[in-house]
Amino acid sequence: MLAPPSAHPGDEPVTIGPERTATDRSNVVVGAVGPVDRDGRLGVEVVVEGWRFELLVEDEARAALRERASRDAAAGGAAGGPLEIRAIIPGRIASVAVAPGDTVEAGQTLLAVEAMKMQNELRAPRSGTVTRVPVGAGSTVELGDILVVLG
Amino acid sequence: MTASSRTAGKGASLRKDGGRPFARILVANRGEIALRIIRTCRDLGVETVAVYSDADVEAGHVVAADTAVRLGPAPATESYLRADAIVDAARETGAEAIHPGYGFLSERAAFARAVMDAGLTFIGPTPDAIDALGDKLTARRTAKDAGVPVVPGTYEAAAVDRPDQAAAVVGAAEEVGFPLLVKASAGGGGRGMRRVTTAADLPAALAGGAAEALAAFGDGAVYLEREVRPARHIEVQLLGDAHGTIVALGERDCSIQRRHQKLVEESPAPGLTLGERAQLHDLAIRAARGAKLHNAATAEFLFDTDRRFWFLEVNARLQVEHGVTELVTDLDLVAEQLWIAAGAPLSEAVLAAAANALTPDRHAIEVRLAAEDPARSFAPSPGRVGDWRMPSGPGVRVDTALRAGERVPPHYDPLIAKVMTVGPDRGTAIDRMRRALDEVAVTGIQTTLPFDRALMRDAAFAAGELSTDWVATRWAGDARRAEALVRAAQVAAGVADGVPVGAATDPSLRKDGSGSAWREAGRRASADRWPR
Repeated sequence: MLAPPSAHPGDEPVTIGPERTATDRSNVVVGAVGPVDRDGRLGVEVVVEGWRFELLVEDEARAALRERASRDAAAGGAAGGPLEIRAIIPGRIASVAVAPGDTVEAGQTLLAVEAMKMQNELRAPRSGTVTRVPVGAGSTVELGDILVVLG
Repeated sequence: MTASSRTAGKGASLRKDGGRPFARILVANRGEIALRIIRTCRDLGVETVAVYSDADVEAGHVVAADTAVRLGPAPATESYLRADAIVDAARETGAEAIHPGYGFLSERAAFARAVMDAGLTFIGPTPDAIDALGDKLTARRTAKDAGVPVVPGTYEAAAVDRPDQAAAVVGAAEEVGFPLLVKASAGGGGRGMRRVTTAADLPAALAGGAAEALAAFGDGAVYLEREVRPARHIEVQLLGDAHGTIVALGERDCSIQRRHQKLVEESPAPGLTLGERAQLHDLAIRAARGAKLHNAATAEFLFDTDRRFWFLEVNARLQVEHGVTELVTDLDLVAEQLWIAAGAPLSEAVLAAAANALTPDRHAIEVRLAAEDPARSFAPSPGRVGDWRMPSGPGVRVDTALRAGERVPPHYDPLIAKVMTVGPDRGTAIDRMRRALDEVAVTGIQTTLPFDRALMRDAAFAAGELSTDWVATRWAGDARRAEALVRAAQVAAGVADGVPVGAATDPSLRKDGSGSAWREAGRRASADRWPR
């Protein structure tokens, strides 16, 4: 799915709280489900009363983090301020490639997180100096934990 | 409704003998109308030849026909509009006649002539009648000469390329009155049409309309017509045989339109008095007789707020919306077309239906399901269909050639299905349509379903308050869509939580109450902005 255009300019993300269990399911058709995109969002096609939507579903906390990360990357790239790199998936730190004081280039590997038996390399979103690495190999991290801070 | 001398032709004796009008015909069209024609042929024992483009290799009409012939690449100009290739295909496959359907070559007199020159039968009016009616200026003159009130306007092509004539055109426009419409003489579907509110805008509208008409139809002739608004669009189904008999088979109200294209049609037109209906049918027959028309045709009128009928045009072919008339009259208009083309006089069934045309005892409605986005000014939305479930049950008819998983090509008309309902009265037909539309399930592409659903719940529509302005004044697609988005996001979040997909349409299976960890954390769903 996610092939033909279904989005309209101005469509805003919708945050769904626990109250959504009251959803009226009349005139609802669920179409294609999946795949999961590179940000971990699940694609779901839903047609409600004939209106067709391709939706990307993600946990609210992760959505906030992802947005902050992209904001930080944009701001950091422009202003050069400190950048907190946070875990976008929960897991275990497999290896750490940098230490405080190191100078890194954009795209350089910082560390690897193991989650669901997969190693996910985390790369520097911009160049800078590593000011803090609050995790070490073997640490367990939760979604949103700070992994590396770039100066 | 005069029954002139009804000489029994070749077709009449065949019909009595349980014969068939032709042994084999070629259907020069695609999509739902091609399949609809093929179905009647099967009923009659007539073999069928389909034609197709490269975009339609495995389309429904190709699968249904006995034989199929490739015409060329996907663009219509290289396939369905190639008169020579179609006539050749008919010759090679031994077809005796060609049914043009609607659109494409159906109203091209040159095509009808080419078919006849090849020794084949054209299932439609004579080329001369197509000429007389297909050209709107000629049709206006023909109707006027027949004593039919024509929408006020001009009767000759405007001199677009003659600066010395500019003052005369402005003078004519002032006589017609503003706002007026610049219309293409060869036009159809609103192309070449321009709305003009002041004389200052006239030159640009004439030039723009003429250029668009030239590009679309190869004929840049334009004329002026007063804008009758608000108005209802009401048309009369006509059937005439080669022996001079022409009858009216009731009228259809097609007022619900956007950009001069019909979205919903119904028969009979709500709220007409017996006298008005009789007057309308009489005007339609007069216009058709003036053009020496036979076979199937439709005379279109505007019905203004002073309850006057104004002739618009005659379409000398089967209309998209012919099915509503079939549901009310119980006729098969395609079968009648074939018999007429074979030389038979109008059947007893047709004459009986015509006799009842002023007092119909059924009401039928059709909605056109199209691959269009009703939140974005009905912009085309072609693509591959996923699920495709059409309604059925009492009083429901669906004409479509589309199947699940099939692609709606971007090259042709966006119409993908016609959903029709019938009942003893209008209220029943609307109730059935509401239910039928609830049964529709289409994924993969956006369709006009939300619009149709809303219309069937609209108080003004239910009250029979129809107008060609309905879409412009009462339809707020964006707001409707925004409401649905919230529900869609809730459903999507439930799917991500593992609520079985099957539960989506069955409330009894719904996961309820106690929230999972995911649920407590909240979910966020956003519409994908593809391509990213």
